[in-house]
Amino acid sequence: MSATVELARRALAQADDAALATVTRERSTMLRFARSRPTQATSIDDLTVEIAVLRGGHVGRASTNRVDDDALAGCARASTLAAEAAAARAGEGHYPGFPAPATPRGHHGFDAETARLEPAIGGNALAAAFEVAERSSEGHGRASVELGGIWTAGDVETAIACSSGAELSDRVTDAFMKTIATAPSGRTGYAAQAAVTAAALDPAALAERAIAKATSPGEPASLEPGAYTIVMEPQAVLDLLWVLGQTAFDGLAHAEGRGALSGRMGTRVVSPAINLSDSPRFHATLPRAFDAEGTPKAPLPLIQDGVAHRVVHDTRSAAIAGGTATSTGHALVAGGQAAGPRPVNLVLIGGGAADEAELCAPVERGIYITRLWYANVLRPTDSLFTAVTRDGTFLIEDGRIARPLEDMRITDSALSILSHVQALGARSVLTCDGELYGRRFATGAVCPPLRAAGVRFTGSATRA
Amino acid sequence: MRDLLRDLMDSASTRADYADVRHVRLREEAIAMRNGELDELDARDEEGFGVRVQLAGGWGFAAARGSDRAAAEEALARALAIAENQPRGDSQPLTAEPPAHGSYVSPVETDPFSVSLEDKLALLAEADGALRGERTVKVALAQLQSRFEEKLFASTDGALCEQRLTECGGGIEAIAVRGDDAQTRSYPASHGGSVAQAGWEHVLALGLATEAPRVAEQAAALLDAPRCPEGATTLILAGEQLALQIHESVGHAVELDRVLGYEASYAGTSWAPVGGAGSLRYGSDAMAITADATLPGALGSYRWDDEGVPAQSIPIVREGVLEGFLSNRQSAAEIGLERSGGCARAEGFARQPIVRMSNVSLDPGEGGSLAELLDGVKHGIYVESNRSWSIDSRRLHFQFGGEAAWEIVDGRLGRLLRDPVYAGVTPSFWGSLDAVCSADEWRLVSFTDCGKGEPGQLARVSHGCAPARFRDVDVGAA
Repeated sequence: MSATVELARRALAQADDAALATVTRERSTMLRFARSRPTQATSIDDLTVEIAVLRGGHVGRASTNRVDDDALAGCARASTLAAEAAAARAGEGHYPGFPAPATPRGHHGFDAETARLEPAIGGNALAAAFEVAERSSEGHGRASVELGGIWTAGDVETAIACSSGAELSDRVTDAFMKTIATAPSGRTGYAAQAAVTAAALDPAALAERAIAKATSPGEPASLEPGAYTIVMEPQAVLDLLWVLGQTAFDGLAHAEGRGALSGRMGTRVVSPAINLSDSPRFHATLPRAFDAEGTPKAPLPLIQDGVAHRVVHDTRSAAIAGGTATSTGHALVAGGQAAGPRPVNLVLIGGGAADEAELCAPVERGIYITRLWYANVLRPTDSLFTAVTRDGTFLIEDGRIARPLEDMRITDSALSILSHVQALGARSVLTCDGELYGRRFATGAVCPPLRAAGVRFTGSATRA
Repeated sequence: MRDLLRDLMDSASTRADYADVRHVRLREEAIAMRNGELDELDARDEEGFGVRVQLAGGWGFAAARGSDRAAAEEALARALAIAENQPRGDSQPLTAEPPAHGSYVSPVETDPFSVSLEDKLALLAEADGALRGERTVKVALAQLQSRFEEKLFASTDGALCEQRLTECGGGIEAIAVRGDDAQTRSYPASHGGSVAQAGWEHVLALGLATEAPRVAEQAAALLDAPRCPEGATTLILAGEQLALQIHESVGHAVELDRVLGYEASYAGTSWAPVGGAGSLRYGSDAMAITADATLPGALGSYRWDDEGVPAQSIPIVREGVLEGFLSNRQSAAEIGLERSGGCARAEGFARQPIVRMSNVSLDPGEGGSLAELLDGVKHGIYVESNRSWSIDSRRLHFQFGGEAAWEIVDGRLGRLLRDPVYAGVTPSFWGSLDAVCSADEWRLVSFTDCGKGEPGQLARVSHGCAPARFRDVDVGAA
């Protein structure tokens, strides 16, 4: 038995009944670099013990990172008091009970070599990227291209012990590297890669791709606001899917009638070319065996042939939705996250275009987008969002990338953009944003590049 | 613990060019009710060491939970190992700093953790119930949060200081739903309500239950409100929306690590160049911005920052001209400042200090009361609560949206308008500022979720502001 499972058992033993104890241990390394030199290096070894207690349909939670018996007892006492106080004040709540024991399927999401977190591996990755940047400037007699970015790897072990009898453990690794090249002109380029194993990352190739974007020839063009055909790299598609995760697939918002798919289930909501699912064991995902309540992960079709099929639920949102709704294994915390459940393994099935160049081929005049930045939802009920393009925006003319383009502000509905998809690339890749707030919980989407028509741009994001 | 940290720094001084350590103990509580049921009741208690070393020009930081000597020493060893395995960089000197000594406790009348859960739930239930008086309000939310942070800092420079900071606050939100439309109103603000470095007295002063019927009524009314008209007009910003405008287009833009390119990979850079201090026109003559880490009750206040630098009040913009930046010891040294601005802050023990806002505020002006500010407007828009925010990586082009707007006609607030958004370019927007209300209208607004850094850190800051008037701003509806 692993130490985390044993600790989860000890934590559960401190609670009287109707309780779920979770232990999450994180070991991680994050190396940052900027201006082609290392800037920050973070090594974390920490764990969280959380005890959730159910009383009268209300879940109280308490957590600690201490593991002595006194701390665990205090944690159990705090969560019990919380649940009992809520039950006394608010009457019977919606939460029906922690899930019954189930056996999750295994996955390919752990790599022992990555879990060693050998400090030299990250250091070597940075050195390889810096070497590419240095080489790119040799012989030009000009200022160097500068690289910024991160290299990170993590090992996260999760164990659950529940009064229902469930006892589960899972261990995953993840690795991510991104590079942003800044050319002497000030233009930037981006490339990133995510995987279960650190060995899969190719720092030199990432640096080359980012530098090629930042240094592509030509003065940046500008476009007036309006509707344009776009070709999005997978990293930009990730933001579209993120918006849908917030607005369309959240089972709690859906149950409350404020979701982007409320009243639209079973109807065509996007192009028939769109097949989108949450697939926790799909090739190239960052898999997980179970969610925060111990419900096993399983594939869930969300949109099939453009038709809305399902939203994601945790136990609480399913109870609020009522009817036949059950947890789909998307709890982010035991008892349900206040903001609602979210898909964390989105997979958008690709199409027939060989690559981004083929997607550009039919475009007379359009916009090539590497990634979006600061995407924020304006109106959740129709998935309207705004964001700016960043780190590799180009003008497409006569079927090919013609020259750099000033960054633009996009303001459109994610569902509407997916309604106007004309083609999808054949090669899907795991894309991540690399944002790791709180306890490490790396997620990503597997998606291809795509082309969509009539996407609304509301202004420049470059000119002063 | 003091002896432990002293010993650790003694050990580090022989193995690193510089080192510091923080032992942080954090206690947090979050309680929320949703439609009469418990939505969230989380208690969190954690402690650990964050050890940072500088070695041959490179940095290493390691975090380890606990409070014992073995954990601290193991963290130091890991910090050294990760620093040693970095590619060699140039030496990065730090500004000189007299070693910090002493202790500080933030003022609190009633410790929020001494208030019973029953009393907190009763307050929330009352507010939650009062939100549900409108038929179309489908989601009623009421939340409270309390936080206590105790941190002890030591460095190889000889610093050893301790501070205990208590915060609490809360807020309410109503979501009205009809057909395929949903509209939200919140009070006192949408980003976690109003949180202050204060005790339970701050929560009681918010009057959540008293304000709830108005909040619900406005959420319902928004379903029938006309869309905010499009065009260039006079815009009056107040409260949270003005605070967010300051936060995004000034606060982040003057973080010196961004200005120097060290945040290019994530948060971005800045349109304001290093050489702009003293000459860059940031806005109109009516614009004065100050970063003040000594403001009573504000979330960005402390006695020392997380590098042991005393809290300061720094002029950022004066009469529309950029005057200074937010800095830590490294970035300040890089541009030749004699001293750090004292803006190094870290989230908890497991993140390293980075340049962060203290309390970046718009100084009060001479515009009088809000009524007097409105009086100068024949036709315009008034926005006070934030719904969406988006700004480019140089903090230049932005588009922000409010929960609600009010039409201004002949100096008075008129119709409620839905889905307001406005867009601009930072220097021209601030250049259109023609008046700021006087000190009587100046209030603190809190944000508890400012993201920056890798791995990500959430900072807690406050911004002081009084309603401000901007001319010829592009507004419209989402």
